[in-house]
Amino acid sequence: MSDSTFEPKIIGFFCNWCTYAGADLAGVSRLQYPSNIRVIRVMCSGTVSPHHVLRAFQKGADGVLIGGCHIGDCHYLRGNYMTVKRMRFLQDLLKFTGFEPGRLHLEWISAAEGPKFAQTVRDFTEKIKKIGPSRLIAAVKAA
Amino acid sequence: MDKLRAKVRSLLTEGKVAGYLGYLIKDGHPLPHFFTKENLAEVDQAMVAPDSARYPLDKLLIALAGRYPEAIFAIQVRGCDERGLNELYKWGQLDPEKVVPVGVACTQNQADYCECPGPWASVVDYGEKCLPVAKSRRVERIDTLAEQDAFQEWLAAFKRCIKCYGCRDVCPMCFCKECSLEHEDLMSTGQLPPDTIFQLVRAIHMAGRCIDCGLCEETCPADIPLRVLYKKANALVKDLFDYDVGSPGAGPSPWKVLGEDATLEAKPM
Repeated sequence: MSDSTFEPKIIGFFCNWCTYAGADLAGVSRLQYPSNIRVIRVMCSGTVSPHHVLRAFQKGADGVLIGGCHIGDCHYLRGNYMTVKRMRFLQDLLKFTGFEPGRLHLEWISAAEGPKFAQTVRDFTEKIKKIGPSRLIAAVKAA
Repeated sequence: MDKLRAKVRSLLTEGKVAGYLGYLIKDGHPLPHFFTKENLAEVDQAMVAPDSARYPLDKLLIALAGRYPEAIFAIQVRGCDERGLNELYKWGQLDPEKVVPVGVACTQNQADYCECPGPWASVVDYGEKCLPVAKSRRVERIDTLAEQDAFQEWLAAFKRCIKCYGCRDVCPMCFCKECSLEHEDLMSTGQLPPDTIFQLVRAIHMAGRCIDCGLCEETCPADIPLRVLYKKANALVKDLFDYDVGSPGAGPSPWKVLGEDATLEAKPM
């Protein structure tokens, strides 16, 4: 599949209080961003288990974007401390097993950062398009 | 062996422990055995498990302690088993006041085979301390592979999985009553090989918890190099959170507390 026709599937796990509201702001501000992203709203990014991320990859996601409140702004005070611990660990584990760690990205986006939200989704989609289809999906299909 | 037997005998006769979890030859096989004061003569046959016949005694102790929460038990521990005890104390599965370790030091052969960084218990009642192995060559080899090659190698290993759950069932650190590997919404059912992420999910659960006893790998009928995966997971936990698994002074597991500060930053895109 060539780069020009490859439309990646991207799963976004966004926290209810910041990034999801940021996405809302991007929407009402009529900011354009690619429709490759499928959003799942969670109450806190700290509730996203690495298992959910891996499940997304297994089920055909080319990229997973996690969005949470900036450190210090968490609605639950310190929930996102766990998010960054888990995702940094998972990225390193994915690297060790050759699972393309760049497909997982964590970004802090506040409710006021509509433009940052749109830009992040644009950049991430562009990055995944450049990396190409997921190695894991190809392997699953071949099996 | 005399020193170990004498210690066990005195613990039992003085009534300090309700029983001792060790090994005995039964029908020609070294098997786990529960020694009690009533059958004191059996202590003369108490032994240390040969390197090739180890069992998850910690796991048996969890079951025992669950049934007799007030009783104190002695248990034979190698370095790994003792790390396991320390982790199980932290995770609330065992009470340190109710466990008396009977320590064993592993042979150099066993330590080299395990690439074990701590092949002896804090008390040694049998064996001589040998040289620890600080670095795992098996992990280092995978580290040097290109991403694509590492992927192909792991994929080939994961494809061999027959989903027998042997790795989980033998693991002394797998104490959950519900297992996410059996959760229908998180892991596909009714197909072989299982989801490619099966072993990765287990690796995540083992990170900061695996005591590196290696029973999973010895149990695996498909020869999946699970130990390499879990050794790396633990090494990452050490790098990221400076947490030593199974060390009594290491504080709570990084997965158990949010922490006072966010010590890590999100990686830039």
